[in-house]
Amino acid sequence: MILQWLDERTGFSSVWQTLFVRKIPEAKGLTAWAYTLGSATLFIFIVQAVTGALLAMNYVPSPEHAYDSLRFIDEKVLWGAFVRGLHHWGATLMVILTGLHMVRVYFMGAYKYPREMTWVVGVALLLLVFGFGFTGYLLPWDQKAYWSTVVGVNMAGQVPILGPYLAKVLMGGDDMGAATLTRFYALHVLVLPMISVAMVGTHLFLVVWHGISEPPEQKRDPGAAGR
Amino acid sequence: MYLSDDFKQELSRRKFLHRAIVILGGMIGMVLSGIGIGYFISPVLGKKREDWVDLGPVAAIALDVPVKLEFVERRRDSWVTNEKRSSVWVLTSNGKDFIAFDPHCTHLGCPYRWDEVKQRFLCPCHNAVFAADGRVVSGPPPRALDRFPVRVKAGRLSIRPQVEEKV
Repeated sequence: MILQWLDERTGFSSVWQTLFVRKIPEAKGLTAWAYTLGSATLFIFIVQAVTGALLAMNYVPSPEHAYDSLRFIDEKVLWGAFVRGLHHWGATLMVILTGLHMVRVYFMGAYKYPREMTWVVGVALLLLVFGFGFTGYLLPWDQKAYWSTVVGVNMAGQVPILGPYLAKVLMGGDDMGAATLTRFYALHVLVLPMISVAMVGTHLFLVVWHGISEPPEQKRDPGAAGR
Repeated sequence: MYLSDDFKQELSRRKFLHRAIVILGGMIGMVLSGIGIGYFISPVLGKKREDWVDLGPVAAIALDVPVKLEFVERRRDSWVTNEKRSSVWVLTSNGKDFIAFDPHCTHLGCPYRWDEVKQRFLCPCHNAVFAADGRVVSGPPPRALDRFPVRVKAGRLSIRPQVEEKV
C-alpha cells in the first residue's frame, strides 16, 4: 500500500529495476570474480565514508590534540579502535581494489568505445583515492605521519618552476605545522569527498548507461545483451 | 513429500544465490552498522568517572567554623585535561563528619563569604543570607547551599567538586 503510493510518486521501482535487475554478461570462475572489483571498491568507499564520519566526531585537527584525540578514540570510545582500524585498512584496500579494478578493465579492453568517459572518470577517481591517502596519512600527527608528509611536500617542491609555490600551498605556509594539518583535514573530509561523490555518481551512471562489457574471449551472439 | 518436492522445485540455483547474498550481506551490514551505532552512542554506555580532589589532612581543619579551602581541580574533558583553580567551604563539628559547600550562591551563582560577626554566609549580589549549615535565612535563593560529596580516608579529606543533587 504505502510502497505503491510511494512508487507512483517517485518511480523508485523502475530506478531499482534499471540499477539492479539489468542484464550483465555471463562469466565464470576468475573472470566472474574480476567483475566484482568495482562493486567491492564502492562498498569500501561507503565503509570509509561511514567510519570517517564516526572518527570525525572525536578527532581534532590541531597539533596539540590530534594524537590525543586518536588515543581517546582507541582507548575510551566503544569499538573506537576497531572503527579506526576499519578506516585505516579500508584506505589500503581502496588503493589495492581500485588498482585491480583498473587492471581488469584494461586487460578486458572494457575502456574502449563507447566507455571511454567511464575510464576517464575512473582515472580521476583513482587520483582522488591517492589524494585521500595522502591527506589522511598526515592526520594522526605522529612521527610517521609528519615525516612522510614532509617527503610528500618535498616531492611536490621538485616540480619545475611551480614547485616551491606548490609546496607552500600544500603546507599552508612556509613550514609544516598547524595550518598544514587543518588544510589536509579540510581536503580530506570536505573537498575530496564532495568531488568523489560527484565522480562516483557519474561513474556509476555511465556504467549503468552503457551496460557492462562482455569478457573479450566470449563468442559473440548478435542477439545477446551487452552493447 | 509435497514439502520436499516443493522445496526442490523452489530452491533453484538463482534463488539460492539470491538468498545467500541477502543473508550474508545482511549479516555483514548488521555487524558493521552495529559497530558504528555502538561507537556513536558510546557516551551513553560509559561509566561516570569519579574525580576525588584531595584537600589535605583532616586535623588541619578548624572545628565549628566554616573554612574556605582552595584547591586545583584537574578535570579530564575527553582528550583535554583542564586545571581549574577552585574553592570550597568546609564545615565540621567533630573533625570526622564534614560538610562541603559549593562556593556559589544557589540564587545566581555569585561567590559568597563567611561573616564572622553575624555568623552567616553573605552573598554580595542580592543580599542572600545562609546559616552555617547552609539553610536559607533570607533573600532570594531558591534552596539551601549545594553540597559536594565528601570522603575521609586515612586522615585526609577529599571532595568531588560536582553538585550531585540540587535539594
